[in-house]
Amino acid sequence: MTLQFKPNETFRRDFTYRNSSAAILHFPFPFPEDQYMYSVNIEPHVKGGASPAYDHVFDVDEHYVAECRERAQVLAEDPKRCQVLPHMMAAQWDTLELLMENLAADYPAHFSLTKAGDLWTWINRPLGLHQSFTFGKAETLPCPPFEYITRQAQGDFTLQDQREDNLYVDGGMVTTQADWSFEFDIGMSFHEWHGPVPLAHEKGVFDRALKYLLRLQYGAPVRRLNWTMTINPRLDTSPENYPVWGPDKASVTPENVGQKVHLRVELQTLYRLPRSNAILFGIRCYLASLEEVARVPKWGKRLHRVLRDLHPDIEAYKGLPRFRQMAVDYLAPLDDGAELSKGIQSELTAL
Amino acid sequence: MSDQGIKSRPKYAPLELDPAGRHHLLLVEGPALPAEALAEGFEPAAFETWTVVNRSALLPVQVVDAQGESVRPFRAKGHLFSALEERLARETMGLRLYATGSEPFLWDVARIADAAGMSRQEIRLAQAGSKARRVFCVHCRTYGEGVTTSIFTCGGCGASLFVRDHFSRRHAAYMGVQVDAEVPGAVPDAEELYA
Repeated sequence: MTLQFKPNETFRRDFTYRNSSAAILHFPFPFPEDQYMYSVNIEPHVKGGASPAYDHVFDVDEHYVAECRERAQVLAEDPKRCQVLPHMMAAQWDTLELLMENLAADYPAHFSLTKAGDLWTWINRPLGLHQSFTFGKAETLPCPPFEYITRQAQGDFTLQDQREDNLYVDGGMVTTQADWSFEFDIGMSFHEWHGPVPLAHEKGVFDRALKYLLRLQYGAPVRRLNWTMTINPRLDTSPENYPVWGPDKASVTPENVGQKVHLRVELQTLYRLPRSNAILFGIRCYLASLEEVARVPKWGKRLHRVLRDLHPDIEAYKGLPRFRQMAVDYLAPLDDGAELSKGIQSELTAL
Repeated sequence: MSDQGIKSRPKYAPLELDPAGRHHLLLVEGPALPAEALAEGFEPAAFETWTVVNRSALLPVQVVDAQGESVRPFRAKGHLFSALEERLARETMGLRLYATGSEPFLWDVARIADAAGMSRQEIRLAQAGSKARRVFCVHCRTYGEGVTTSIFTCGGCGASLFVRDHFSRRHAAYMGVQVDAEVPGAVPDAEELYA
């Protein structure tokens, strides 16, 4: 896909964010079946697969420039959205290396990385950055290495330290989150930061996921999709700013539901880091309005069925009760009840 | 409502001596050891005990009483915490730390121990006394102390905060989230839950 960035779109106030037809087909639709329940839906993060969002290690799309600007805005308002505990310095450099090497390899037209020993030169053309620095020497960058590189990436990132047979969320860049507070959760163990999620603890999901992740190998990253729904294309739905965005939920009407209600998908990726043995967790957020999702007939029908039959505890946890029924009513006329193929693929080549 | 099913909320057990320890320091948020915090067979003489008596006219001097129990009283929690920081800074491997008292006290102790490099396995905590909570306002970062109700007014930003069972050991506090953010003014009645 040739990328045509849309640098002026916004994720607040006038909400000018929209998906082009190509971006809709690029959207990682999260439901392989007509029903949804929590599971350990982890698979190897290899290139290719059911969604074009899997074609690159770190996906860059038409919203890249605008999302980086939105991140800078959130950080200006609340610098604590990016914090890394002091013992995580090696993991900071690991992250910078992983992102720079993969962005440069996957998108050579946009990013380049050259190395002369420890002297590295990084060029980010979409953001107009040209930076020479010494790898391992934080004072040669304008800000700490984890912050430096994650300011230039879409999606949130957290750093998990591995010790005592557990994972601790000891660092993060979190500005595009689905209602969890990094400032509150920093330092928590795996089960603690997942504490509020309903049903999944009882199903043993977190016990199994933790065991799996403790054995995650360098060079063999994994991924899963997660989802919720957001009113307006707002990236920063943090608990910190809940008083700011909460009233949006009461603004949905049967007339505006197709434009206002967005399916919010997280492409979650996990990488073992080589020096620190920490895990980098990428949480890449995609937003598409119901109207946009429904342009792919299979997805509109399936979303209708998932929302119609959703477990009430999951509906409550994801904060959907005020508008779920309106979304179901909007999608119902588009669903002829036909049997749909398993899997998330759109089954279209163009829109 | 009293159990929101959230798994970050700590669980506590009565205090027992950790036989792997070399030296045992017991911190009590009060003048005397509460029986509810002790496991059967607990032997106070095996511990160096620090207490909080909330009185100014005393010196924090270790006294061994007739039963052979070593007790050092402090004027207030802050007084004890500053001595603890100094003590942990020069401790070596093998120390085990025990604390009993209200939840905010326990996790203030845990935070000081963590800063001194102790691992979670070297610390044992037993809740006793008041169940009142410390609550961190996620919107303005003000701590509310002594919260006993399901909803209370933030002393910082004035929001009506619902007290979630989500607990941060680092903040030694529960999370407070504005209860009427979606429909301002729609605040349910507060329930007395954490007396």
